[in-house]
Amino acid sequence: MPKAMTYKANSVIYFQGDVSDRIYILKAGRVSLNSNDIETGEAVRDSIQTGEFFGVKSALGKYPREENAVALSDSHVVVFSVPEFEQLALSNTRIVMKMLNVFSNQLRRLHAKVRGLLAEGEQVNPELGLYRIGEYYMKKKEYDKALYAFQKYLTYYPGGAYHQDANRLAQQAEQYVSKYGIGQGPGLGNAGSGAQQAAGGVSGGTGAVGDAGVTGGNPAGAGERNAQLGPVAKQYYAAVSSFSQGNYTEAMKQFKTIVDKSEDREYVVKSMFEIGRCLYSLGRYDDCIRHFTALVQRYPKMPDLDEALFYLGQSYEENGDQERAGGFYKKILSRSGVSEPLKRKVNNALRGLEGT
Amino acid sequence: MELNLDAFERFAVHFNKGNIIFCEYEPGDAFYLIQGGRVQISKIMGDIEKTIDILHPGEIFGEMAILEEAPRSANAICLDPVKALEFNRANFEILMRGNPQIALKLLKLFTKRIYDQRRRFMILTLEDTHAKVADVFLMLDESQSGAKPEGAERVFHTTPGDIGHWAGISPELSRDVLTQFQTQRRIEIYTDRIVVKNINEFARFVNSRRKKRDDT
Repeated sequence: MPKAMTYKANSVIYFQGDVSDRIYILKAGRVSLNSNDIETGEAVRDSIQTGEFFGVKSALGKYPREENAVALSDSHVVVFSVPEFEQLALSNTRIVMKMLNVFSNQLRRLHAKVRGLLAEGEQVNPELGLYRIGEYYMKKKEYDKALYAFQKYLTYYPGGAYHQDANRLAQQAEQYVSKYGIGQGPGLGNAGSGAQQAAGGVSGGTGAVGDAGVTGGNPAGAGERNAQLGPVAKQYYAAVSSFSQGNYTEAMKQFKTIVDKSEDREYVVKSMFEIGRCLYSLGRYDDCIRHFTALVQRYPKMPDLDEALFYLGQSYEENGDQERAGGFYKKILSRSGVSEPLKRKVNNALRGLEGT
Repeated sequence: MELNLDAFERFAVHFNKGNIIFCEYEPGDAFYLIQGGRVQISKIMGDIEKTIDILHPGEIFGEMAILEEAPRSANAICLDPVKALEFNRANFEILMRGNPQIALKLLKLFTKRIYDQRRRFMILTLEDTHAKVADVFLMLDESQSGAKPEGAERVFHTTPGDIGHWAGISPELSRDVLTQFQTQRRIEIYTDRIVVKNINEFARFVNSRRKKRDDT
């Protein structure tokens, strides 16, 4: 049974370094958790609110307490063993959810700190990292895995610095896996297929990766893309190609076909996003607003959310609703992880609003 | 497994042997609870693919995605045909409400991750490279579960490259430092393992380097 206990002012509830399976909840009084910041060594004091748990992490994780818990005034606490706490948690999901939130925030901060301390060389930009995974598997003749990595690359970075190489290698991987099988064939080194000439500069070793295929806007791109990947991806890129040539009506029709078929969720969401862009480009701002509003509600975690919010802002602005437009722009700026180019666009748009 | 997962069948995903569930650097928005088959967690370092862990039914992986849509930090590859429950932030709430055991499991996993990250951070904050390397051995010793062997000698199945990875230094520098330790007869380096002659002596050494920070 959980036990009620009382601690006099200035008494210690537990010491840093103690190993114990006790978990506490503060009922009344004031408790402070005192420790030293692991980065600066500075004294840190966290006060516990009434109703709050403490000592959870070290008890659940079975590791030494990371702080001294001190009663600042006469304090009443309830003490749980780990099994008792688990019992409580299972019947009260809210507690666990709240703790998951707290822990995940701590973990996120720790990750950021560790990343900050690691040598520069350990940090790879994710776009290049993903491309290199594909290259690695290609070299090892694990074509199915290489294909996976290149397709992911093309999904997340359709206009990325290595998209032409990724396209070509994805195509090769697909050919090789059916022609030679996994573990057989030429790997990355000897690319005998005709696809090679389109992008140029096959990275025979790792060295050439850095500057391969950063040409961008190669007109051969669209046609080359059509030759490989799955059928849905093929349709998608055909539609993207129509869009980039300014055929918005045609592009929209093509994107709609992908959405209607609803075969591949990833491409469905991407296509729905593109339909919104088509509507905007066609000047159908009301439709664009309706479309993106529904999309954002349905897929609040979609990869292009920030961009979608931007199109919403732009559409409202075109419709003369500056207040709403400004609202969306500010919302984008308040979000984390917004790309720099988009931030610049949003800031420009905001300045434009102020100027009028 | 004591969990009642029938209600979550609709979140089940299937993979064939050899399939990639996700690969490093791919943006992540889902995490997985294995129901059948084994999953290999690996990382590509230079020219080799290193296995970090092999996970079994009942285990969770990719859980960092629930925190942030940061790129994946490793590959997850199926060693067998795998069945797993796929969770994302959208269905997370439903999952937790219906099955708090999983939430509790995740909570425990987070306590472990927090501890591991803190421990790693402590190594990286040491200024002295030798102390960093020695502290990696202490960390590895702490994480070896079960009864501690008698005496102060410890055997670690690790390589200079791995040690360097944990210490945040290059493999070359790691090898240099380890060679110096070997010359001082504090360790012995073999192809498949490193023997630390006296783990307590390493602990004293690391503490002497860390003390200075705490006192300031």
